[in-house]
Amino acid sequence: MTVDLLFSWLSSLTSTIEDSSILLLVAIIIPCVALFLVMAVNAIVMVYVERKVAAFMQDRVGPMGQGVGLHAGKWGLLQTVADALKLLTKEDIIPEKADKFLFILAPFVIFIGAFIAIVAVPFGETVIVADFNIGIFYILAMGSLGVIGIIIAGWSSNNKWSLYGGMRSAAQIVSYEIPAGLSIIVIIMLTGTLSMQGIIEYQSGGMGNWIIFANPFAFIAFLIYFISVIAETNRTPFDIPEAESELVGGFHTEYSGMRWSFFFLSEYANMLVVCAVAAAGFLGGWHSPIPGYFDSNGWGIFWMLSKIVFLIFIMMWFRWTFPRLRVDQLMNVCWKVFLPISLINIFGVGVWTLIFG
Amino acid sequence: MSVDQEKLIAELVEKGLSGDMDSINAIEDRVLRSKAKSALAKAKRAAKVATKIVPSEKKTLEVSIDDKQPSDNLNQKIGHMIDKKFPGSLDSELNDTHIQLKPDQWFDIAQWLKSEPSLHFDSLQCHTGMDVGDEKLEARYNFHSMTHDHYIEIRIAVPRDNAHIPSIEQIWRIGDWFERETYDMFGIFFDGHRDHRRMLLPEDWEGYPLRKDYEVQETYHGIAIPKVKEGWE
Amino acid sequence: MGVVHGEQMVLNIGPQHPSTHGVLRLKVKTDGEIISEITPVIGYLHRCFEKHCENMTYDQVIPYTDRCDYLAAMANNFGYVVAVEELMELKVPEKVDYIRVIMAEFQRIASHLLALGVYGLDIGAFTPFLFMLRDRERILDMFEMTCGARLLYNYMWVGGVSHDLPKGFVETAFQFLDYFEPQIEEYNNLLTYNKIFIERTADIGVLPPEVAISYGVSGPNLRASGVKWDLRKNAPYSIYDKFDFDVCIGDGGQGSLGDCWDRYYVRMLEVKESVKILRQALAQIPKDGDVHQAIPKKIRPPKGSIYSRTETPRGDLGFYIESDGSPIPTRVKMRSPAFTALAVLGELSEGWMMSDVISILGSLDIVLGEIDR
Repeated sequence: MTVDLLFSWLSSLTSTIEDSSILLLVAIIIPCVALFLVMAVNAIVMVYVERKVAAFMQDRVGPMGQGVGLHAGKWGLLQTVADALKLLTKEDIIPEKADKFLFILAPFVIFIGAFIAIVAVPFGETVIVADFNIGIFYILAMGSLGVIGIIIAGWSSNNKWSLYGGMRSAAQIVSYEIPAGLSIIVIIMLTGTLSMQGIIEYQSGGMGNWIIFANPFAFIAFLIYFISVIAETNRTPFDIPEAESELVGGFHTEYSGMRWSFFFLSEYANMLVVCAVAAAGFLGGWHSPIPGYFDSNGWGIFWMLSKIVFLIFIMMWFRWTFPRLRVDQLMNVCWKVFLPISLINIFGVGVWTLIFG
Repeated sequence: MSVDQEKLIAELVEKGLSGDMDSINAIEDRVLRSKAKSALAKAKRAAKVATKIVPSEKKTLEVSIDDKQPSDNLNQKIGHMIDKKFPGSLDSELNDTHIQLKPDQWFDIAQWLKSEPSLHFDSLQCHTGMDVGDEKLEARYNFHSMTHDHYIEIRIAVPRDNAHIPSIEQIWRIGDWFERETYDMFGIFFDGHRDHRRMLLPEDWEGYPLRKDYEVQETYHGIAIPKVKEGWE
Repeated sequence: MGVVHGEQMVLNIGPQHPSTHGVLRLKVKTDGEIISEITPVIGYLHRCFEKHCENMTYDQVIPYTDRCDYLAAMANNFGYVVAVEELMELKVPEKVDYIRVIMAEFQRIASHLLALGVYGLDIGAFTPFLFMLRDRERILDMFEMTCGARLLYNYMWVGGVSHDLPKGFVETAFQFLDYFEPQIEEYNNLLTYNKIFIERTADIGVLPPEVAISYGVSGPNLRASGVKWDLRKNAPYSIYDKFDFDVCIGDGGQGSLGDCWDRYYVRMLEVKESVKILRQALAQIPKDGDVHQAIPKKIRPPKGSIYSRTETPRGDLGFYIESDGSPIPTRVKMRSPAFTALAVLGELSEGWMMSDVISILGSLDIVLGEIDR
């Protein structure tokens, strides 16, 4: 969408340039850079928000500063900048016995997995880089690319803790793909399309039309999807691959400095993506809750972002409230609870649509 | 340590004993200097001890135990019972504070202490060693019975150069760690212990620190060990 | 279910690891996630406490006892001075006894709060830890108000305490108790009855009472196994016989008797009992009176030996002191409760999973300073 718009806009500006392939290239690169910025800004903001949310939940004030000099700025606003500077200037340590090629490769694989998934995320009626006709399927597929990076990281570090972390996350992420995917099927059954924009279009016309309120099964599907994606993004209570009290740091034990921050960056990018899918798939995407009210094009971005931020806040809330599950309990929840419920859900939605649809 | 070094240290100790400390202080090598100093200290102490040895009195059991009035004190009472059940196991006369046993029958006595219903000492509260002088080491056991809520202390003295006591690690499981610690600190060997290793110190540490005649080894894996100041005045 | 046995892996948990509660090393043999053998290796924090004691006067030992169990330094001071006083057959003024009990019980709350909070952290819950530390901080403030120190106090001396209670201490203490009691409910709601927390702790690491006694496990760990044994009640020292409180035991409330949850919950109950004792002690404390018994500058206990036990937050703390009549003890042996608690770890954790070992270790509430001495 955006690429097409950009291309036509650029060609109308520069009618003198005959070769349109350069323009196409520019039209592709601009959104990519923009997406990268979105991810970077997302990480910076999220780190700050996470710190503050954690602090307020724990009776602390979090990062604070008096606004003097570089002392973390007013209300600690410069905290993440300081963090980033620290990470950039840290020594880059690669363990002697590590598999160097894979060790260096792993953060990039994870980062790329998160990055290319974001391409199909709609932020507004026209603000989407590529509206594939299989958008939601594409996001699910790309989202699970990250696990390969985690396994590579765990294996190549040549550290037993990392290996544990890598193996745990392989089992966990692969398992939780299934209930998450089955919940997405509910959306697809209701909307009849795989395109992200198509799904959002279906939900136009106020809160009542949102898929989450379409029928009770859809509501359960939303819950299962949301819990499963928390597991997929390795957040508490499902953060066993990096459980710091057991596995020191899990798969990223041996990473430091900028390489480590790539894991961090992709964790927040992944959160953004999965919450965007939840917002678009269940909560009406960029539609306003009340039809005709703040529902113009510019507001779309606002609604979409606020829904995403709300869901991310809930994820943070979970993280600072719950203890961590054990690895076998995690698997039990997935295979013995979520999977059967998801299957019944699909059946239920089918029957529901047949009767009331 | 090379032969040259040993010779050098011996020479320096000679000098030091005759009052010439400068030649030791002048050594450049820190490790060698500390070695020489500790050798000197050892030599000085040996000279002191040699003049101090006093012949120890021989103790004999003056009163036979059966002649004594039965007492309410548990150490007396249970000591009495032990003497009846295991004749010849007592090492000295009974008193109010503890029961002194010989090491030979200790394992059987310990088993009996736990299994006898009227005693039922199910908890080994504390176990430690003690350097009692007279070339003897002592192992001390504090027993407590949760069911009867009574308490005794048992002491077993063994010669310093041949310190062997039967292990009770299989009767009270905590004996495992307690005995390992006592072995670590006093060098008392517990025969029959299934995991007889040092507890707190590294396996290749020399000597037993809580013996009164303990000398700190000079180096450990090539690292000079700083000397402790002597006593408080 | 068929179990596939792969190659065993030897894993070193520690000496540097986030949840070993100090510098402890666990040599673990694992088969995947399942632990088949676990051997604690201790001694990394050995500071020759007992050897030092043989070179110091009785008074000079007290600061060293602080550094053994650094999370309950008051209780360690208490244990040591009670032992020396028993050896000297010394009676201390009543006010001193009251101050000591108040300090010891505040220390018990502080120590338990840390234990409970850190246990939450081991399981993965971060927030309860900070909540509990926030309240522990107020107790430390009161200690600071009393003797100037927050962690290592050297407060209790043979025959007395170093300072009298400061002005306004009793009021501050009551204010704290009024604030603190409702907080216990908050902890319970946040962590104790959390479904995930119960899943992680109930039925895990069950310690039967016979095994516990055979291993000399004491304190909350023993009581969690259902043994009603508390030295404050069963062999009262100081003035504990004057107060009305219950000995809390585990009842297998969420799983089986003596599991991790019981060990956790017994500590939570004990905090409540300590509050009860504190309220009585603070109300009864004599207004005037000296806080030093007249004793000679150089303490010379009579020849003999003593084994004296007190109830610290971690269990029975025993001091075995042998005196030859000189101002320097011949031998001071510290029988630390955490030492015996750690000894049982190997037996408790075999066959459990990697994460359970952390949860069992946390529930035993060990302090390495006390184990290695």
